[in-house]
Amino acid sequence: MKFTKDQMLKLYEELVHVRTMNNKIVEFIFSGRIAGAIHPSLGQEAIVAGLLYAYENHHQTVYRSFTHRQQAIMARSAGIDGFLAELMNRATGTLGGIAGEYHLVKIDKLMLPLSGVLGVTPPTATGFAWSLKLDGRKDAVVCCPFGDGMMSEGYVYEAMNIASIHKVPILFVIENNGMAMTTPLEWESPIEDLYLRGISAGMKGASVDGNDIEATVEALMEGLDQAGKCNPNVIELKTVRWEGHFVGDKQEVYRDLSFRDNLDKLDPVLRYEKVLLERGVANEDHFAKVKADQEKIMAEAFEKAASAPFPKKEDFLNPNIVYTNTDGLPIK
Amino acid sequence: MKFTKDQMLKLYEELVHVRTMNDKIVEFIFGGRIAGAIHPSLGQEAIVAGLMFAYENTPYEVWRTGTHRQQAAMARTVGLDGFLAELMNRATGTVHGIAGEYHLVKLDKKLLPHSGVLGVTPPTATGFAWSLKLGGKTNAVVSCPFGDGMMSEGYVYEAMNIASIHKVPILFIIENNGMAMSTPLEWESPIEDLYLRGISAGMKGSSIDGNDVEAVVEATLEGLDQAAKYNPNVIEMKTIRWGGHFVGDKQEVYRDMSFQEGLEKHDPVIRYEQTLLERGVANEDHFAKVKAEQRKLLDAAFEKAVEAPFPKKEDFLNPNIVYTNTDGLPL
Amino acid sequence: MAEMTGTKAFNVAMKELMEKDDKILVLGEGVGRKGGTWGYFADLWTTYGNSRMIDTPIAEAGFSCVGNGLAYGGYRPVIEYMFADFSSLGFDAIVNQAAKARYNSNGELSLPITFIMPNSGGGKSGNQHSQSVEAWYSNAPGLKIVTPTTPGDVRRFLKAAILDDDPVVFMHARGMMFMSEEVDETDMSIPSLANAGKIVTEGKDLTIVSWHRMLPRCLEAAAEVTKETGKTIEVIDPRVLLPFDIDTVVKSVAKTGKAMVVHEAPARGGFGMQVSAMIGENCLKDLKAPVKRIGGYNTSIPFGVGEEYAYPQVEDIKVGIMELLK
Repeated sequence: MKFTKDQMLKLYEELVHVRTMNNKIVEFIFSGRIAGAIHPSLGQEAIVAGLLYAYENHHQTVYRSFTHRQQAIMARSAGIDGFLAELMNRATGTLGGIAGEYHLVKIDKLMLPLSGVLGVTPPTATGFAWSLKLDGRKDAVVCCPFGDGMMSEGYVYEAMNIASIHKVPILFVIENNGMAMTTPLEWESPIEDLYLRGISAGMKGASVDGNDIEATVEALMEGLDQAGKCNPNVIELKTVRWEGHFVGDKQEVYRDLSFRDNLDKLDPVLRYEKVLLERGVANEDHFAKVKADQEKIMAEAFEKAASAPFPKKEDFLNPNIVYTNTDGLPIK
Repeated sequence: MKFTKDQMLKLYEELVHVRTMNDKIVEFIFGGRIAGAIHPSLGQEAIVAGLMFAYENTPYEVWRTGTHRQQAAMARTVGLDGFLAELMNRATGTVHGIAGEYHLVKLDKKLLPHSGVLGVTPPTATGFAWSLKLGGKTNAVVSCPFGDGMMSEGYVYEAMNIASIHKVPILFIIENNGMAMSTPLEWESPIEDLYLRGISAGMKGSSIDGNDVEAVVEATLEGLDQAAKYNPNVIEMKTIRWGGHFVGDKQEVYRDMSFQEGLEKHDPVIRYEQTLLERGVANEDHFAKVKAEQRKLLDAAFEKAVEAPFPKKEDFLNPNIVYTNTDGLPL
Repeated sequence: MAEMTGTKAFNVAMKELMEKDDKILVLGEGVGRKGGTWGYFADLWTTYGNSRMIDTPIAEAGFSCVGNGLAYGGYRPVIEYMFADFSSLGFDAIVNQAAKARYNSNGELSLPITFIMPNSGGGKSGNQHSQSVEAWYSNAPGLKIVTPTTPGDVRRFLKAAILDDDPVVFMHARGMMFMSEEVDETDMSIPSLANAGKIVTEGKDLTIVSWHRMLPRCLEAAAEVTKETGKTIEVIDPRVLLPFDIDTVVKSVAKTGKAMVVHEAPARGGFGMQVSAMIGENCLKDLKAPVKRIGGYNTSIPFGVGEEYAYPQVEDIKVGIMELLK
């Protein structure tokens, strides 16, 4: 795939956008303004930005599920203000701040349910993709990204088999960052190339450098194209997780930190800057401007979200958010 | 592997033994003398007989799980009389007729638990194999056979990955008879060769003709040997289920019955008879004699089992079979 | 009126629903050509084919979640487990996913999915094919639990369960599905899940709440006691455990002053504890004796001939009634 100059600049902006959001999340957590364990995608921005780009440039509607490292995509899907407020548990959130980032679901914004319990997202997304096929919808497809950690769950295996038997329109994307929470790949998987699990489910599969934004986009566009024709398939995007499992997680306790030695070479933002410089597409001034712009957007958005009120007790304890019909089913 | 004449005759006897036990089970169910859904291995005898032979002819101690189609292998493991009595819910059974064939576990006879809930046997067996490794046992190995149906459970995938990561001494055997209860392979699996799932768990694997008893023995012995060297591996044995899922199951409702045409070509007993005839190892008289002997042996064993008494109410309701310490935990 | 078994009633209800709502589809092991393990879906495959009668791999975890996904996509899936016992493999899909889908959308959506659980013993199949699992699911807000016993109730409450917009666990007494009764086929009304309690026999000296295989045993024990003592017993079939129709029970206890709950699951931790507690909380002034619970033994269900030893028998129930009536 040949990227135009505008597309390249857009990709760069998306990369910076994701990086800036990650940095903001870290900043807000360390300053005590976001509570709870949040898992930004520091170091994995090419995947998040690549997915964002692919979703917006694929010719079909892309329903998508999420990982806990895809805040920027959730924000783009739900709207940044609503998402950040949801992340911060505010009443102005996409779902009134009730569900939080972990459990958000908003079908009318193309957002399939997230699950706090690892493993169930792929079979659920498979079922949703199946519903599209049953509806005869040729205009829509499902993208289901998840991490190498989730790949160990039997649910994923069952989902891939069922998706493959019934040829449902779904693309499975494995973000392989080499760490399942605290466990390195060698202790979570007997094989290094996880896309092979998709192959053994009778699907086409490929493994791609997930720190190369253009390679990521190309693979995703092709994968979505195939999935859209009811050829479910799997793409593994290899990357590196820079930080702990969540912000504040002391990874030095359990992780060999030698991966940090040459991190610059893997940094998807720096790598793409070099590419753009080499191609003469942009210069350092442009990079600085994009970063400043994104910093401004994010700073304002985060401040706005943080200044909103929390939901009230009665919002949380609303019986109508538990049952459609609460006759005989008081919550207290 | 070169089989001696004695070994070939033994293999034939085992095949007939398994077939006869299957026939007896069917006879007893239709005669109303065994209750419950029992799933004999009619048509799949080469796998059961091959495993029995391999277990007895490998240098390793083989801990094994049963399946719902391995009555003969389970009987050999725990003793024929005890097993049949257990199958028939009799107090003379291996575990006093309490557990039944579905839930039988007898570690001191090397029989690991198999579960009435499909899928959990492989991870459980993996854990046990791991315990052998942790215990420093170097001559012991676990054999874990299961069907193509169970292969769809995520538990099996998780088990294979864990076994492979930690290199525990286990051999996974997929008895692929092409039917998951009432569902044919094409609707239960996107791939035909299920051993590939083992490959994708980083293990060695192969697929063999499961109706060829010698091939089953060879593959199993090699697989056990590798497993004992902490190279967990998987063997797929392809076969055909002749009957319904259980005795009495009307498979014509859901199954394309064209598989029945030319079935004798796949019959592991007839096939091996032809092999032995061709090799000049045995003749028809011998086959008839073995069949008559097995018939007699199993007639007597089944009659003996069925005559035994049922367990008593207090045996079933014994609190000590629920907890090791029943203080404060009345039934 | 037509004589039908529970199995037939189930099948009739499915036909009536699937004809009217093409969003209803069935997933499970052998639900297609075979017509389901128990024959509940007989002939449906012939009409609806693979797209609505979906034979799944033996992958309960996976197909339970796939069902949820189909529900998110606007379908009304019916998921059948061969045995209620096997729903343990789909547990997360039910208690952590389906039950919480509405909450996690702040009330915007709900999953109209029904999980069919052939409950209870009678098959002599031992401790992994015979359990009554009401209590496993009763502590997961967001779920409803529908537990009809008779063929007529199976037909109507199955429809109510499937048409309900919340996730429903539908449990029926597998061991009673061969029994038949006269069913009014023309009654197409859909019962409410909220006040579903039914007074099966009226009485004034004791209230018994029971369902599934214990219900006929309670009726038999009650009839014997009445014959012997002249005292009458009101037997209530709740038909739905969540939402539980406490009003019907409270009214009855106000009249009788004594109450007993009988179910097949082990007494300890069984749903009878919940019923007993509700009666205690609501009827303290009316109660002349502590509420009595009779349930299965707190042990594994014996395989084979020993099965019934672990379940309450008519005699056990009768002894309990006599103690309460003293």
